[in-house]
Amino acid sequence: MNELVSANGLSKAFGSVKAVDDLSFAVKASEVFGVLGPNGAGKTTTLRILATLLQPDAGTATVAGYDIVKDAERVRAAIGVVNGGMGLYDRLTGREILHYFGGLYGMRSAAIEARIAELDKLLQLGDTLARRAGGFSTGMKQKVVIARAVLHDPQVIFFDEATSGLDVVARRAVIDFVKAYPSAGRAVVYSTHVMSEVEELCDRACIIYRGRKIAEGTVAELAAQGDGKGLEEAFFRLVNRYDTSRGVAA
Amino acid sequence: MRPTVILRLARKEIVSTLRDTRAIVSNLVIPLVLVPVMMIGMPLLLGSLFEREQVTVTSVGVVGEANVPAALRAAFTAANLALEPVADADGAVRDGTVDVAVVIPTGFEAELADGGSATVQVHSKVGNMKSELNASKVQQAFAGYQAEVVAARLSAAGLDASVLQPVTVQTVDASSQAERSSGQLSWLIPFFIAIWTLTGGQMTAIDATAGEKERGTLEVLLVAPVRRAEVVAGKFIATMTFGLSAALMAILGIIIGGAVMARLIVPRLGEGASGMVNIMGGSITLTPATVLTLVVSALLLSAFVSALLLGIAMFARSFKEAQSYVAPLSFLFVIPAVALQFKDLIGLSDSVYYVPVLNVLVLMDNVVRGVGGGREVLITWAVMLVAVVLLLRFALRNFKRESVIFRS
Repeated sequence: MNELVSANGLSKAFGSVKAVDDLSFAVKASEVFGVLGPNGAGKTTTLRILATLLQPDAGTATVAGYDIVKDAERVRAAIGVVNGGMGLYDRLTGREILHYFGGLYGMRSAAIEARIAELDKLLQLGDTLARRAGGFSTGMKQKVVIARAVLHDPQVIFFDEATSGLDVVARRAVIDFVKAYPSAGRAVVYSTHVMSEVEELCDRACIIYRGRKIAEGTVAELAAQGDGKGLEEAFFRLVNRYDTSRGVAA
Repeated sequence: MRPTVILRLARKEIVSTLRDTRAIVSNLVIPLVLVPVMMIGMPLLLGSLFEREQVTVTSVGVVGEANVPAALRAAFTAANLALEPVADADGAVRDGTVDVAVVIPTGFEAELADGGSATVQVHSKVGNMKSELNASKVQQAFAGYQAEVVAARLSAAGLDASVLQPVTVQTVDASSQAERSSGQLSWLIPFFIAIWTLTGGQMTAIDATAGEKERGTLEVLLVAPVRRAEVVAGKFIATMTFGLSAALMAILGIIIGGAVMARLIVPRLGEGASGMVNIMGGSITLTPATVLTLVVSALLLSAFVSALLLGIAMFARSFKEAQSYVAPLSFLFVIPAVALQFKDLIGLSDSVYYVPVLNVLVLMDNVVRGVGGGREVLITWAVMLVAVVLLLRFALRNFKRESVIFRS
């Protein structure tokens, strides 16, 4: 299977506000796909729809080959989600949290232990495994959040503003992990408003603004629209062009 | 629904709550300690106060001390009342010099000796328990004196005292042993069980709903391949476990309190105090059948409360907000439970067994007093079961609503 995520005409409104408007994109295996946009652009809503937490008002999508509405449970078994606001259970240790979620993914105890050992090497979980999460630093917490999201080796992992609030060391650990994750059967959807992260991590990206996709391409293709001044300049030009076309004051 | 997934979800909530010292203290320790303390302490305290007031020599203010006949003075002394001259009866009671004062008019003894009648006044503070208690002691002393005067007059007329009482009224207590020993405070048992069912489940329910939202763990849980019905079932089992455990601790506290009272305290008390203990329900003893009915009723009450708590707390965005939502629920239990003490005056009809919560409270009160039949038990349990199913559907609906899950 080449396309691990396929979104076609997704729309979602909350009351009179259109959070996502006719959004389509595809994510292929082995790539990191960026979803770039300012706060309130509809990135989180898009990812929540793909993660089956929200139902789209219109449009369809498949993740790992499963329809997000008709086969939601299978979609959830095939994905991992990391976002900046995710927390842990304060009174459980890192190991207990991983065993709890491993069990929910149908993993046996021995398989969970083996996977914890792998993730310990990869993420340097260290004493987060034996300590209760209530005493974790933000960086420690984020490592366990990531370990939990990839414990079952998901085909698609969604990162939503995952480095928000992290110090430089913890942020680097997340970025290194995202770089290393994609493989022949896996992909990452990385949502952020930080241009430099998209430039460093993503093979391709789409820019979402006011719920709509206003551009898509490789990072180099997107950056080229900034006349050599980088992705940030390109982003502002695209946004201004969109607002002008809609008659919205910049 | 997969039982292993539900149990895994429930186990995590239970472990999480068990590691919270506050939850253990409020769920298990407080009901186990507080219930016996209240059961033993309250009646014992009132009983001993009652007994003390009977034997303590109380000062009674008197206006016209010189007018008190010797026989009346003797009646006061016999009732442990010491006369203390005061200038103003009302003033002495009002400023607290004495709890009660009497006014004996001039010529009181001579008027009675001539076969006439006289008026005395007893001044007390109505609404002040101590003042009223002493006023009743004074009235008893007057009644004793009056009986002596009447007997003397009848004797002088050649009549026997029984001529004034041709009919003797004898009152017989027709209540059962269980009703007698539960006293007037049988309602305290459903009250304790209801309160601790609510308190016990509250922390787990809020932690498992609004707490998950606040920590940012709910979204993680919901993107795992678990069904919403399994999530609700797991959280429901955990909440019910703690609600029920607190209720069971309250029942255990009642059993311990009753046993301590019956075996250790009552035999050592004087007649007055042990009578007061019985009136206050301090000698409640529960039979195995009563305990079983209480446990099943507490189980259903706990299920009702747990489903309701989960459904309501899910609306909240934070632990604190959820606490403010569920706080008024205590009125749902406290008001009917307290109203149960007036059940005889209210006159409850059979329709109460169709009202969820109220039916369980009435049923528990009945079984403690050893009244009521199997029909009421079956109706109550069936109604509660239906209510639990409906509330679980309400909770599940909230766990499925996007506007509730992502309310922020």
